[in-house]
Amino acid sequence: MPIDRRLLLYINWPLLGLAVILFFFGVLNLYSASGYRMEVGMNVSSYYHRQLLWGLMGVFGMIIFMAFDFRHLKTMAWPLFWITVILLVGVIFAGKTIYGARRWLDLGFMNFQPSELAKIAILIVGARILSKEREPLDFIRLGYVLGVGMILAGLIIKQPDLGSGLSVLMILGGMILFRGVTPRVFKTALVAIPALLPVSWLFLHDYQKQRIMTFLDPTTDPLGAGYHIIQSEIAIGSGGFWGKGFLQGTQSQLRFLPERHTDFAVAVFGEEWGFVGIMLLLSLFCIFLYQIVMISRDARGLFGSYLAVGVFFYFFWQILINTGMVLGLMPVVGIPLPFISYGGSATLVNFCLVGLVLNVSMRRFLFKQG
Amino acid sequence: MSNIYDENSQQPPRHGLILLQILILVLFCLFAVRLWYLQIHRGEEYARKAKENQLRQEAIFSPRGLIRDRNGDLLAVNEPAYALGLVREDCRDIDKTLHQIAMWTGHDFNGLKKLYSKNIKRVKPFEPLILIPDLSFDQLALIDANKLRWPGMEVQVRPRRQYRYGMLLAHVLGYVAEANEEEMEKRPELALGDYVGKQGLEFMLEDRMRGTKGLVQFEVDVNGRRLQERILKHPQAGQEVSLSLDLGLQKLTMDWLAEEAGGVAVMDADTGQLLALATTPSYDSNDFSSGLTPAQWAKLRDDPLHPMQNRVIQSVYPPGSVFKPVVAGAGLHYGVIDPNETVNCVGQIKLGRRVFRCWRKGGHGKVDFEKALVQSCDVYFYKMGKKLTVDRMSEFAQACGFGRRTDIRLPHEKAGNMPTREWKRQRFGEGWQGGDNLNMAIGQGYTLVTPLQVARFYAGIVNGGKLYKPLLLMGEKPVVQGEIPLDSEQIERIRKALIQTVDNDRGTCRRLRTKGVVVGGKTGTAQVVRLTDELKELDDDEIPYRFRDHAWIAAIAEKDGRRIAIAALVEHGLHGSSGAGPVVKAVIDYLFLNKVRYKPEAKKAKARAVRQLSLNPIGGVDAN
Repeated sequence: MPIDRRLLLYINWPLLGLAVILFFFGVLNLYSASGYRMEVGMNVSSYYHRQLLWGLMGVFGMIIFMAFDFRHLKTMAWPLFWITVILLVGVIFAGKTIYGARRWLDLGFMNFQPSELAKIAILIVGARILSKEREPLDFIRLGYVLGVGMILAGLIIKQPDLGSGLSVLMILGGMILFRGVTPRVFKTALVAIPALLPVSWLFLHDYQKQRIMTFLDPTTDPLGAGYHIIQSEIAIGSGGFWGKGFLQGTQSQLRFLPERHTDFAVAVFGEEWGFVGIMLLLSLFCIFLYQIVMISRDARGLFGSYLAVGVFFYFFWQILINTGMVLGLMPVVGIPLPFISYGGSATLVNFCLVGLVLNVSMRRFLFKQG
Repeated sequence: MSNIYDENSQQPPRHGLILLQILILVLFCLFAVRLWYLQIHRGEEYARKAKENQLRQEAIFSPRGLIRDRNGDLLAVNEPAYALGLVREDCRDIDKTLHQIAMWTGHDFNGLKKLYSKNIKRVKPFEPLILIPDLSFDQLALIDANKLRWPGMEVQVRPRRQYRYGMLLAHVLGYVAEANEEEMEKRPELALGDYVGKQGLEFMLEDRMRGTKGLVQFEVDVNGRRLQERILKHPQAGQEVSLSLDLGLQKLTMDWLAEEAGGVAVMDADTGQLLALATTPSYDSNDFSSGLTPAQWAKLRDDPLHPMQNRVIQSVYPPGSVFKPVVAGAGLHYGVIDPNETVNCVGQIKLGRRVFRCWRKGGHGKVDFEKALVQSCDVYFYKMGKKLTVDRMSEFAQACGFGRRTDIRLPHEKAGNMPTREWKRQRFGEGWQGGDNLNMAIGQGYTLVTPLQVARFYAGIVNGGKLYKPLLLMGEKPVVQGEIPLDSEQIERIRKALIQTVDNDRGTCRRLRTKGVVVGGKTGTAQVVRLTDELKELDDDEIPYRFRDHAWIAAIAEKDGRRIAIAALVEHGLHGSSGAGPVVKAVIDYLFLNKVRYKPEAKKAKARAVRQLSLNPIGGVDAN
């Protein structure tokens, strides 16, 4: 099949460039985060190495996600949704238990998290449903859309994986906000959601309650749950304006900072590169998000727009929650920072979703084929 | 299939796009403000906290000054000891860790817990709180193998005092032990588990011998593992101290006293330096520095012979006849006697209705000054005492250093007692009796002296009248504390009499005769109780140990310009010459003839048996 040269021309190159730059920032940071000082010299674990391999796989995934016309996803939306449901149910019966949670399917060569797939599925199904909505959502339409999301979210929360379950709901929620709701729905939600918050407290696990209590006052448990928050703030804060320099962060190199290559990776960055470095990183993330918004605006057809919006929220929530947690603005939840935190399947999914929006951007001028 | 390309020209919702851009802006502003707050507004504070995480400081222990004898032989050294401490900040579960420590070391958990809570305020952050100052090697091996699983446990190596001759020098060197609250309060540089001098020279020379701790800064990781170290302050070792004591002589005197209770002071008459300071029974200094068990402490405390007592400076005794040269000196000084005039001794003298006996029942016949000293004639001194009275005897004796401390550099020295009329009135509420003068003149009654005071006085007799402060350290300048108020001729007269006491065939100190050495001496017997007539009839061996008189002997010896004074006291040793003489003779042989002669085993066995009897008052003669 001959490639239409316009396809390459219309790729949003800034977005692609930003994704690659952020990824390499992440790998560089990971090199530092996986090192620790010994009596003599230092030791570096191989996380950065593995992350590079995953990035390579991610690029392949990205190309695959760019290769086909995204509009085919419209027809694939529901089958993908049901496949995801089946896999999630499969996890419940045949999943692999790690750290007391049944989240993984053993594929032989890797452990696969269907909840990652669920995030992609909800964004495609959401785009499929919402792109058909001509008017702001009323109670019935909203109930329908949320109901679809709840099927996936409910199965994930049951694993239990509250973080991923809520992610699914929040991606969908963001897309719903983008679509807009009727004033009545909006007003009702404004009253109902705060009212329901205390009720949801009853459904939380003890460790989740603990995390929230610790977030509210980290000093109550300085060696336990509050330790993460305190050490993270010390790492970031001690970076000061210019930072301590690459590989010079004492909080990370001496391992006072926990989870420093995964959830708290950006704290390592903040410690070593200071205010200057982390503001640069933040700016890059914001431009990255802005490019996705532009793709959504320019997309050919609402389905493409909504796909881009879904991807926007996929990244937005993770950036907000992870950075918020590291900066002590939010409770500790296990949500990684895209491109910066170590994680194989997350890296793969990140690149695939970048590929998806690039797909939307490169086909913005294509009209009916054949 | 066609519906996927089914296009409508509808644009995405405009307010939706605006919402997304607002979200980006909010994200940016929220984090920018927070980052500014953390990294710039509070950056310095966090930088300090990061440093606190990363850098720790620890004291480097300074070795305590070594102690040597006058010939350079090591007496007190330092050896490594392993202490177990707990760093509270690193410890996850204090109670569990304390339980584990209790299990490993056999200590009581509640005791450890109490120690922990009592001292937790005393340790700085990240400083180990010392729980067990002295681990055995077995415990050390066990803990070292497992401590990484117990974050917070830290084994510290610190120098611990070791006394090479713990039993020989316990009363001189004293001992070190863990500092108590009070000491830590007084000296802020002391930390929990530090050793300080508690007794003897260790106590008196604490500041000199302790040295100053150093400071090391090191980087730690989250497991408390030490990484790079940097010494901020080098520790300074305590000063080395050389004693004037001669280890060989100390060993010898201690051996002669081994089965007795008594004390010997050997003083260089020209400097005041002590060559030996022996007192028995003794204890082992090492028991204290390694932590005395309650059982060990109870045993020491309840021992009827009081092994902790330094009998040379802390016990006071009536001087008996060794006091006679003092009284003789007073007689010369105040001119109440003509040395050539004789007194007729008929074995007793009457004062009012009381009869004062001479120790020799038949009397000494005509007695002049020298013969009175040589044969220790009581009657001669009774008459002199009567003339001198307490006022002049007391004044003179005080000028000779009696009744006040010698200021030897050891704690808890006793001053003894030199009675006056005033003293007796206050003490007993009655006036001084004429008979008191007589008793005082032969060294009985209210006069109490320490063996060290006696040695100092006798040194004065041999060095021309100077009363030197007794010194224990080499290199200390001699200090003249006073002079015997006699002219050289008078002193010489006393000195000659003392020498005659040894040389004359009727002298009481014949036992001390040594070829080639000019030896003088005076024996003495300090009454413990006024013997009843019944007891008087008994043979010496039959008198119960605790009723037996104390045996004194004071001696001077000189050869080739070297002049020595010796005072020896053996509690319940009966007679000066036989009870206290042998050890003095051994000292003279050692110092002037280089002969080392220890106490024969048979004599030791006999002394042991006598002592055994004293500890068991029911049985033997006592039961009669």
